[in-house]
Amino acid sequence: MAADTLKSTTGAGGGAAAVRRLLLDNGALTALIVLLIAMSALSGDFLTTDNLLNVGVQAAVTAILAFGVTFVIVSAGIDLSVGSVAALSATVLAWSATSHGVPVVLAVVLAVATGIAAGLVNGFLIAYGKLPPFIATLAMLSVARGLSLVISEGSPIAFPDSVSHLGDTLGGWLPVPVLVMVVMGLIAAFVLGRTYIGRSMYAIGGNEEAARLSGLRVKKQKLAIYALSGVFAAAAGIVLASRLSSAQPQAADGYELDAIAAVVIGGASLAGGTGKASGTLIGALILAVLRNGLNLLSVSAFWQQVVIGVVIALAVLLDTVRRKAGAAPVAAGTGGGKGRQAVTYGLAAVVTVAVVGATSFLHSGSSSTSNPKVGLALSTLNNPFFVQIQSGAKAEAKKLGVDLTVTDAQNDASQQANQLQNFTSSGYDAIIVNPVDSDAAGPAVRAADKAKIPVVAVDRGVNKATTNTLVASDNVAGGELAAKTVAEKLGGTGKIVILQGQAGTSAARERAEGFAKGLKAFPGIQVLAQQPADFDRTKGLDVMSNLLQAHPDVQGVIAANDEMALGAIKALGSKAGKSVQVVGFDGTPDGLTAVTNGTLYASVAQQPSELGRIAVDNALKAFQGKKVAETVKVPVKVVTEENVAGFTG
Amino acid sequence: MSNADELLRIEGIRKTFPGVVALDSVDFDLRRGEVHVLLGENGAGKSTLIKMLSGAYTPDAGRILAGGEEVRIHGAQHSERLGIATIYQEFNLVPDLTVAENIFLGRQPRRFGMIDRKRMEADAAVLLERVGVPVSPRALVRELGIARLQMVEIAKALSLDARVLIMDEPTAVLTSEEVEKLFAIVRRLREDGVGIVFITHHLEEIAALGDRVTVIRDGRSVGQVPASTPEDELVRLMVGRSIEQQYPREPADTGAALLSVEGLTRDGVFHDVSFEVRAGEVVGVAGLVGAGRTEVVRAVFGADPYDQGAVRVAGARLRRHDVSAAMAAGIGLVPEDRKGQGLVLDASVEENLGLVTLRSATRAGLVDLKGQHEAAGRIAAQLGVRMAGLGQQVRTLSGGNQQKVVIGKWLLADTKVLILDEPTRGIDVGAKVEIYQLINELTAAGAAVLMISSDLPEVLGMSDRVLVMAQGRIAGELAAREATQDAVMALAVSSPVSSTTPSTPTTSEVETGRGR
Repeated sequence: MAADTLKSTTGAGGGAAAVRRLLLDNGALTALIVLLIAMSALSGDFLTTDNLLNVGVQAAVTAILAFGVTFVIVSAGIDLSVGSVAALSATVLAWSATSHGVPVVLAVVLAVATGIAAGLVNGFLIAYGKLPPFIATLAMLSVARGLSLVISEGSPIAFPDSVSHLGDTLGGWLPVPVLVMVVMGLIAAFVLGRTYIGRSMYAIGGNEEAARLSGLRVKKQKLAIYALSGVFAAAAGIVLASRLSSAQPQAADGYELDAIAAVVIGGASLAGGTGKASGTLIGALILAVLRNGLNLLSVSAFWQQVVIGVVIALAVLLDTVRRKAGAAPVAAGTGGGKGRQAVTYGLAAVVTVAVVGATSFLHSGSSSTSNPKVGLALSTLNNPFFVQIQSGAKAEAKKLGVDLTVTDAQNDASQQANQLQNFTSSGYDAIIVNPVDSDAAGPAVRAADKAKIPVVAVDRGVNKATTNTLVASDNVAGGELAAKTVAEKLGGTGKIVILQGQAGTSAARERAEGFAKGLKAFPGIQVLAQQPADFDRTKGLDVMSNLLQAHPDVQGVIAANDEMALGAIKALGSKAGKSVQVVGFDGTPDGLTAVTNGTLYASVAQQPSELGRIAVDNALKAFQGKKVAETVKVPVKVVTEENVAGFTG
Repeated sequence: MSNADELLRIEGIRKTFPGVVALDSVDFDLRRGEVHVLLGENGAGKSTLIKMLSGAYTPDAGRILAGGEEVRIHGAQHSERLGIATIYQEFNLVPDLTVAENIFLGRQPRRFGMIDRKRMEADAAVLLERVGVPVSPRALVRELGIARLQMVEIAKALSLDARVLIMDEPTAVLTSEEVEKLFAIVRRLREDGVGIVFITHHLEEIAALGDRVTVIRDGRSVGQVPASTPEDELVRLMVGRSIEQQYPREPADTGAALLSVEGLTRDGVFHDVSFEVRAGEVVGVAGLVGAGRTEVVRAVFGADPYDQGAVRVAGARLRRHDVSAAMAAGIGLVPEDRKGQGLVLDASVEENLGLVTLRSATRAGLVDLKGQHEAAGRIAAQLGVRMAGLGQQVRTLSGGNQQKVVIGKWLLADTKVLILDEPTRGIDVGAKVEIYQLINELTAAGAAVLMISSDLPEVLGMSDRVLVMAQGRIAGELAAREATQDAVMALAVSSPVSSTTPSTPTTSEVETGRGR
């Protein structure tokens, strides 16, 4: 049937009409083209081969995940577990190959088998256990993430070099992830269009009971469908890890939502029965183009999220309107068709105006000046510490006449790699990176090195790549100081608990290492429990409340950052600062206030705005060809009630 | 030009869909206090016409006048404001809300911003009383039978103070007793001055209830006649030719037993059901609603499990609760709920026709799409499915053509034993006869047909033998010549074995024939 329509349209109106028809028939494609035009108009760096290949690379992981999710959504299910399964598969590969010496080929097979197994469990729970797909895969989301943390013991594992080539380029220009994405897309299109299982997906998604009564083995098909989704998740995980040369237990966190968004933007219905691989690819490209373009345009990290959300809604809206309009005009000819076409065009115009207007309004308008351009890639802006780095850096940049662009990776190593890549390809003069993960930032920083762009690392170092300088405070030393402070306050004996940072991050590891080192000197201190609370205040509150149930006699708390310390203080209530001494880390404004109030005994203060200031300083020096020190240690100090007044971050 | 009694006038209405002209130059008018029957085959355009009155579609050309003024109806609420209420075949009720909430959905009486439940229920009780249905306003809609759902819909329409009431095949799912009740209500409304547009396929209802009849054929109004017009004439207007025989059964030579069912039992549902169907034979299954007929055939087909007994096809025993095994042995099922169980509504005609043969057309995981396409084209032409093309969405086909697609997918699979569950429910006379012809062709080719039907004249007219079920058991078997409506009904209301009490039928209404 598809062939028929194609033939009749091309025959009737020639090339131009066919293109118009194609665009009208596919709202997502229209939206993509509108975006491409808008981005090219706004940024001179956008429409270059390098950058477009970057967009491809950045879309690859989401697209591969989304192809798998397309199968599930077409059959009227949902798969929330793909992000976690991707991380688990990559972790299994790295763990077996790197840590246990399993031959790489076998390790790859194991990784794919992991994806299949996770999918089969999903499928089994849904088809035979009669769990709603949402619940079954939500459970798998948690289980797979947990298992990847268990296997990796919370730390990233280096990826075997032979597999890491999947993250390289072929012939010096064609990125392998793009190739993998295209191949997986073709496979997905083939499966959906030509195979028994693919055609069954449409039937099951359209009407499961009718499919069953027509002799389709719906339960077995569901097993296969979710297993296929698992295979694609495993492939995405392997590509993701090879780009970063490291398998991260926390990788691809939240990617399932991007994948689902890509599928729906591509024209599939969550009610099942419709959807295509080509649409899904377009959906993933729309997301990647947006992120890339907003980076290039230096749109504020916070506004980026708003813009992305608005564009997702508009893209799907465009498609819905198109469908309503598309139902009529074929036979009606002129009649009502024109008005509806006008609606489609009108909406397309609205999208364009909205995107162009919003981005040009939001971006800082720096591109025209001749000041040196410096990019600052922060791991997250969801934590006051990094916000202070940002404000220190911004103030210094203003003083020195530097155009500073700040990006926020939201603690996602892969997104940070994308952002670094965007800095590199649009020819920034210097890059400051605050790595989400020291190993994972390696490949992207190497690319910047290759382009001869000076790189300054701040707060955390970058492994296996050259940085001109590292500006950091010493986390291990700080950890030791924190342990010493608590132990001395308790007089060398007492019972304490430790709240650890987010598993898998270097700050959490190094601070924990420092705590352990520091406590060795105090055999009288008994550690009752060590639990992670993810650097988060709310989680700090919850975890501390739980620990208090088990250990009401606790006398001291060491928290790996101030946020968790403040959460713990909430849980302790009136005990805080009286019978229980809490020590935090970072010296954030809230933390220092708590020190002044006496609820927080001490905070091991870094000086984040100093970090930011010095980083910009060094970046400019490196750009100007001046000599910079290999490492700049910004001192940490213990802030207590006595010296808090004189301390400023 | 308008007279005071005229509620609605439609002039030269045209409406097109992709590839189809649904309506063209259709005229229609409705006066106060009359029942105007809209008659036409499925797909003739009746539903499209009423959807334009209810605001679901807007016409491409032509005028609609309400109370003498030209209007463009956009949306259901606008239609309601004009005093037009529509009761569709598929009810628009929310299963988990109460009757009162459904009647006043979106218009609940409020007090201080809160819903005034007391008043709402009192008002609902008055309306239900007027309709004459003994249902508590507080009952959940989910728990009501289909006849009562319809009464609730009527009460809802009354609550809107409708001057025009459109009823789309209200009698299709009702028993004759319920039909009588409905007619009484409609007559009362007519006396109150309400204008009623009534769609039905049962010709005898026209004389009993109608005042005027507008016949629509292939999207055009072909005539307006008084309701007293003889049925033959109505059929001729509707089909465009005269149908000589409503039930053209041509008995074929019967061969060996193809399907034999022995002592089939599912506790509490059906008990000790045994029968056989021979090659070339049509066996009808009659009985009351709730007698367990659908449950038995679903178990035979493997769609549901059973506890005891056996199903054999050509002597070979089938695995229990295994649709694939039943299909492999050559059984096919055309289910009662066409849209819910028979079709993938948003898929194309081609995809639906290819559903059953999907697996056999697969080699090494790949579907022979070309072969499927050719097969679908061939069978669609053979069955005379009226469509814009194989790519048309099945949802947009008329009921009769949808049913042909469901039957077609089984014909493609070389089905030897075809089970038809209410095969002509909601289908017009012309398409019915085509389906009967199809049954003749099947049996002539040596297949066996088992047909459940609540339409007694159909069972009597088309079956070589009639099985009557009552309370989950086979109450008796009648040969074609001894099967009369009285004989069937006597068995249908009997209590076959009283030793154990199977599930009592959900409704005690008797499904008597309403044929002539």
